[in-house]
Amino acid sequence: MKVLILTSGVPFIRGGAEILAESLRDAVCVAGHQAEIVALPFQSCPPSRISEQMLACRLLDVTETCGVRIDRVIGLKFPAYLVPHPHKVIWLLHQHRTAYEFWDHPAAGDLIHYPEGPVVRDAIRQADRALIPEAEAIYTLSANVSARLRRFSGIDAEPLYNPPASAMLFYKDSAKDYFFFPSRINPVKRQWLAVQALALCREPVRVRFAGEADHEAQRAECVRSVRELRLGDRVEWLGMVSEQQKRDEYANSLGVVFPPVDEDYGYVTLEAMLSSKPVITCADSGGPLEFVVDRVTGLVADPTPESLAQAMDTLWADRRSATAMGEAGRARYADLKISWETVVENLLR
Amino acid sequence: MKINWFSPLPPARSGIAQNFARQLLPALAGRHDVIAWTDQDQVAPELSQIVRVARYQPNNPPWRKLNEADVSVYNLGNHGLIHGGMWNVSQRHAGIVILHDLCLHDFFAMVLLRILEKPDAYIAALERWYGEDGRRAGEAFRKGGISPECMTQEFPLTGEATRGALGAITHSRRALADLKETLACPVIALEHPYVAADESRHHQWLAARTAAARPPYRLVVFGYLSRNRRLEAVLEALAGIPEREQFRLDVCGELWDEGHIRTQIERLGLGSLVKLSGFLPESLVEQKLSTADLAINLRFPSMGEASGSQLQFWDYGLPTLVTRTGWYASLPEGTAAFVRPEYEIEDIKAHLGAFLANPGAFRAMGERGRQVLKSHDPEKYVNALTGFASLALELSPRIPALELAGRVGSDLAQWLHPAASAYLLERASREIFTMCEGKSHDRNS
Repeated sequence: MKVLILTSGVPFIRGGAEILAESLRDAVCVAGHQAEIVALPFQSCPPSRISEQMLACRLLDVTETCGVRIDRVIGLKFPAYLVPHPHKVIWLLHQHRTAYEFWDHPAAGDLIHYPEGPVVRDAIRQADRALIPEAEAIYTLSANVSARLRRFSGIDAEPLYNPPASAMLFYKDSAKDYFFFPSRINPVKRQWLAVQALALCREPVRVRFAGEADHEAQRAECVRSVRELRLGDRVEWLGMVSEQQKRDEYANSLGVVFPPVDEDYGYVTLEAMLSSKPVITCADSGGPLEFVVDRVTGLVADPTPESLAQAMDTLWADRRSATAMGEAGRARYADLKISWETVVENLLR
Repeated sequence: MKINWFSPLPPARSGIAQNFARQLLPALAGRHDVIAWTDQDQVAPELSQIVRVARYQPNNPPWRKLNEADVSVYNLGNHGLIHGGMWNVSQRHAGIVILHDLCLHDFFAMVLLRILEKPDAYIAALERWYGEDGRRAGEAFRKGGISPECMTQEFPLTGEATRGALGAITHSRRALADLKETLACPVIALEHPYVAADESRHHQWLAARTAAARPPYRLVVFGYLSRNRRLEAVLEALAGIPEREQFRLDVCGELWDEGHIRTQIERLGLGSLVKLSGFLPESLVEQKLSTADLAINLRFPSMGEASGSQLQFWDYGLPTLVTRTGWYASLPEGTAAFVRPEYEIEDIKAHLGAFLANPGAFRAMGERGRQVLKSHDPEKYVNALTGFASLALELSPRIPALELAGRVGSDLAQWLHPAASAYLLERASREIFTMCEGKSHDRNS
């Protein structure tokens, strides 16, 4: 089969979606097919541009190239998944979130700040309702994304879990005195919540944060909070780390703190499980809740500094339980049989 | 439903503030979560007991706060200073526009030429709706070559007020068909809301009026008195009847040119018969209307829309003289005395004579008008308004779709020969249609 993977993104910005597209391409090739990524540039500001880009996608013809038929198209992201094709399958990473669950989110909402925001939001929703069902099959990244698609667009879709990149390289080592918190630094990942929780911990809990800030001001805000709360000796900002360093940080941690707002999926959870580490997440964190079983493979706290502090204190003080939860997480990952083979088999069926 | 309500509010000297807002807001706020947005310096304190009042700056509206509502409703009339701010918001933030006037040239001339000093925008608006004729007329108007009255009638610019709107509401059923043809958004006609006084109060007014029903009879002219309220013709007619001493005319409202009217009164020798009372506070309105015998409520040219003051006159059981034009022409026969624009002075004189001959017949006319108010229930208005808003919101994806279609068309025109662009336009049209309507385009759609 000749397979095109359609995605969209912001030029010069590389994140989980780009890695996923590349991993999918590689997995399709390993399965004996030919695959390429078509990445369309996407600009959400000003909002009036969004409808232009939707139309641009609709006008693309990818049914063949130089007389050679494209057998299958896999759409991943808005608006690239709107590109028409008679044999399109959508594997939805997420819809345009600020037109949906993040519309009025205090930190993540962007469309809501524009006068034309509501009509652009409604146009996106209408197009999704009308055009996503064009696909021969619809899958999503996670049960959380499926639930949102059902809730907002009335469309049913089966979740297809995929493994993190280089899943086989994650390993376990003896736990040292820190929790690991790897993520881009932004309000939705809620590093600030972990910092505020640290200030309330009774145990001498330490956290090592890895990842770059989306905006320098967000990192500066976190650093300022740490200084004001006098947590300098209990927080480390590692910045961007290599893949190997990341795996080492996981392996040596006591556990992983990951309390984002309504995460689509959350590779961090899976990477922690692969590293046999317990995960502390929050009741509104979305995707991680599909994997973290409270008090079995980690702890599910309320999204408050007090509750998160209590969860961190619990694991800090009870290393035996922390180790057991980490092992249970590794076993649960194995039980889920998450593999690229399963993903490719479904998408090319 | 959460509603942003943009409207002149009491004490603004506007019929929308004094009549419409007072009549409708209690019913609307009783059923929905309403914020009344204003850029006025002052708002009547009692209003905050009915509805939440919030302030905005027309040049920097709080978009996030506005976007928390389900829909924004803009009450647009012809006064540039009163409605300019909310029109500015409506141009960027699509909502439902309630057209309190249908001829809005005066509004756009004031806002675009005098307040914003954007003559290019004024000419562009005329060209958009009336093509080359509109552009030429606009240029001539700017040089003083065409009168405001002529521009108002020939180039009302109604569509410009609803450009990019989710929907439009008129209070004139007569205008509905034309508006549906002209405007790009959905339109409905609703009866202007009015809460009629209860029967016991009405009987008190009636008794007071009947007891005092002898000459001199009290005539009233009410409201914001611009040139189209025909006060000069009323004065001419009054001066022209031999029985003029049997009338007293009370002019209550802001005059567009008080000096000019005073000169006319003096010229016609009406100084002892005509009183200029100015704008009346709410407390004096009841006193004036309950003791008046005949209201003169003329409009020519008509701005097209329903008159809140006409409903108020009917509420008091007052007989009225109205011009047979615009919304007034659709009033049921027998509920008002009609004046033909082309025979204005003659008709006014004839009606005044008829009144003197049979005041009871005119009182019966006022009573029939009062019965019409039953179809103006604010609760019905609120139901219809919110039903219409829900429908308009469902269709809101059409707004960016139309904008997109416009951009695609103008872009292609710049670089692609029409013969070559036909296929692309067809494809783009089909895709835009599918995206915004949620269904595939076919040739019958």
